[in-house]
Amino acid sequence: MRISSVLLLLIGPATLHAQTVDDVMLFPRRALSAGVVYAHEDWSQYWEGTLKRENGNIGTVTTQRVSWMAGYGVTDRLSVMVTVPYVATRASQGPLHGMSGVQDFMLAAKYQILATPLTDRGTLRALVVGAAGIPASNYTPDFQPLSIGLASRQVSGRFTLNFQARDGWFLNGSAGYTWRANVKLDRPAYYTNGQLYLTDEVAMPDVVDYSISAGFQQGRLCIPVSFSQHRTLGGGDIRRQDMPFVSNRMDFGRIDVMVMYRGMSFGTSRIVSGRNVGQATAVTGGLFYTIHF
Amino acid sequence: MRRSLPYPLLALALTCAACDNTITSSEYLPPLQAASLDSTAGGWRMIVLSAPTQFSLAAPAADTSAAYRAELVAIKAAQARLTAAQRSTIAYWSAGGVLRWNEIVRGLVARFNLPPAPRADGTYPVPDPENPFADPQFPFANPPYAARAYSYVAVAQFEALKTAWYWKYQYNRRPPAQVDTGIAALRPLSDLPAYPSEDAVISGVTVELLKVLFPAAVEEITQRAAEQRNAALWSGKAAASDIAAGLALGKAVAAVFVARAGADGMKNAVGNPALWQAFADTATAHGEIPWRSQESPPRPPMLPNFGLLQTWLMTQAEVVTERPPAPPSTSSPQMQQEVAEVRRTVDHLSGTQLAIAYKWNDGAGTYAPPGHWNDIAAEYVRDARMSEVRAARTFALLNMAMHDAAVGCWGVKYLYFNPRPVQLDPNIKTMIGLPNFPAYPSGHSTFSAAAATVLSYVFPQGSSDFEAMKNEASISRLYGGIHYRSDIVRGKEHGARIGGYAVRFAQQDGAN
Repeated sequence: MRISSVLLLLIGPATLHAQTVDDVMLFPRRALSAGVVYAHEDWSQYWEGTLKRENGNIGTVTTQRVSWMAGYGVTDRLSVMVTVPYVATRASQGPLHGMSGVQDFMLAAKYQILATPLTDRGTLRALVVGAAGIPASNYTPDFQPLSIGLASRQVSGRFTLNFQARDGWFLNGSAGYTWRANVKLDRPAYYTNGQLYLTDEVAMPDVVDYSISAGFQQGRLCIPVSFSQHRTLGGGDIRRQDMPFVSNRMDFGRIDVMVMYRGMSFGTSRIVSGRNVGQATAVTGGLFYTIHF
Repeated sequence: MRRSLPYPLLALALTCAACDNTITSSEYLPPLQAASLDSTAGGWRMIVLSAPTQFSLAAPAADTSAAYRAELVAIKAAQARLTAAQRSTIAYWSAGGVLRWNEIVRGLVARFNLPPAPRADGTYPVPDPENPFADPQFPFANPPYAARAYSYVAVAQFEALKTAWYWKYQYNRRPPAQVDTGIAALRPLSDLPAYPSEDAVISGVTVELLKVLFPAAVEEITQRAAEQRNAALWSGKAAASDIAAGLALGKAVAAVFVARAGADGMKNAVGNPALWQAFADTATAHGEIPWRSQESPPRPPMLPNFGLLQTWLMTQAEVVTERPPAPPSTSSPQMQQEVAEVRRTVDHLSGTQLAIAYKWNDGAGTYAPPGHWNDIAAEYVRDARMSEVRAARTFALLNMAMHDAAVGCWGVKYLYFNPRPVQLDPNIKTMIGLPNFPAYPSGHSTFSAAAATVLSYVFPQGSSDFEAMKNEASISRLYGGIHYRSDIVRGKEHGARIGGYAVRFAQQDGAN
């Protein structure tokens, strides 16, 4: 058995609600890779609907996340990945209690449908990814922004196109669609999007996202820079001076920069535009080990 | 390892099958087929009006008159070209106007139950009834405001319907679908006389009150009220003259309540900075730690003079004599123990306890604790198939008790100006939003005990459930980290005493 480390590009800088799998890295056949990613994210400004503001009753909201991840190369073209994050939140001001717990168990399968030389300058590749997530504990989604997640089961599909030049530069485009199941609250009624709902069940609008990234990869070094846009296809705005709600229309645009070398990764991200989300800045660091069977 | 391929894909497919986004209301309201006509309701005891004859109603035209015949022709014409939207309006209102308006008012409370945002200078604007569409919107439908709003709508509907029932049985005019076989009954019809139309009475009395209570929602309110009247006409239940008489009667009754609402003390409930300081000074002079807002920037306390508001069933003297004793001193060993209990509770909260805290949170942006009890009552009213006038009685009893509970509770809160647990121990963090007013006694406990007392009288078969809900709602405030145990215990006792006034009224109002 040979032990070496590889990069697991599954690591997105921490977003509260999703792990993106929009790169084109695959695990070698019969290679098992496992690791841990730590992410620290905070924001003091947020968008109440489209109004950007601060709130003295929460101050700075900090989310810390430790994710255990593993991936396996079933074949050279098919990889499967799992993630289980532990999340803890806190507010720097005001009386509200932070929350912590195991968030959502995520499973993804990534399949390369195309890899073809394009002229003599590089390779064009296309991948499809299917992913599913289920809450791994009975945490409440009804304490936003301090809930550790949205507690919605979800399934996503993704298509990624990549051009890898021989000299190491690459360009990547990815788009995904996430179907989200209804969420149950502990209360019999709630008001959102201009309506009182007399039920404990909340319809969760679906989410689309797309990203473009460019960067450099040579040997075990990879430096991607990306911009991604997430749009929720429905949901209400946070009303003036109201708390956020689980099914709010949460949209954001985010810039990510990462450096990956051997089994280590470091990254940072910043939300640059948003609606019903905090303007989060995040830093992440991860370590991975790979075993070849 | 190739055999492992199907498993992740299978798991994906299974999870996807669960992504069905349909939402069904848990408050299903079938067409009302009242268990009783309650034909004697015109003689039931009044609360604010002197008698049903306070408003006279001219006799309707005879069934054989040309004017009435023309009205019947108009109904037939309308029925001949009913659209799908009109049919769904009929179906919606056939559940009963009292229940439907109760739902609508709960929605209005949730919509307007938001505190004003702070200004840049750290002060807070006060919602202005003369400028309701501004920021902040008017009203801030917080729990006391909500309790008052639910009660005005319910009591006014009840008084208007008793008046309507009186005149219905004076004139005994049949509904159009019974007069003319060419008119279909598109909702269940009973032998209840049609003149004046109870649907129009409810629409008229409710819309006038809601214009005052929720002026920024005037467009939605008037549209709903018009739909209710149209539904009565289209369904063959009422003719144009039944509706016109009902609307006029409803509005006339509403005027009495609008005048009362303008003079019940609500206008002065917010108080002023000198008053807010005086509460703190009084507590300090008694050797107590005064309540302090934990919001940032500090927010003035919620409706300090609400305890001076006019009540429905209690005299001012009774409001005072029913009050609970003083809370434990902020410097007493008992208080230290109670603070420690709050901290111990929130730091070791079980999943079940957290769920209870959220179930009864009923904080900003919700229909408020009185709305929660209306939500509970609605399903009992539906299942009992109460006539409109009896449904109105149930909501009037419930909401008079909760309004009086709000007045009683707020009076005590500002008498003692007692700090919240997080003020006495900053290490306590709350699992729900912290209300911005003094702790003692717990409003949830007072509301819930008053409501459970009334509902247990009206629906004895549900009394053990109401008792359990009362206790759960009350203890949820300890789980949330926002109340001491003595707030809860004393609040429940206080609320039960106040609820007793509504029960004693109901025992002798002639409706049993």
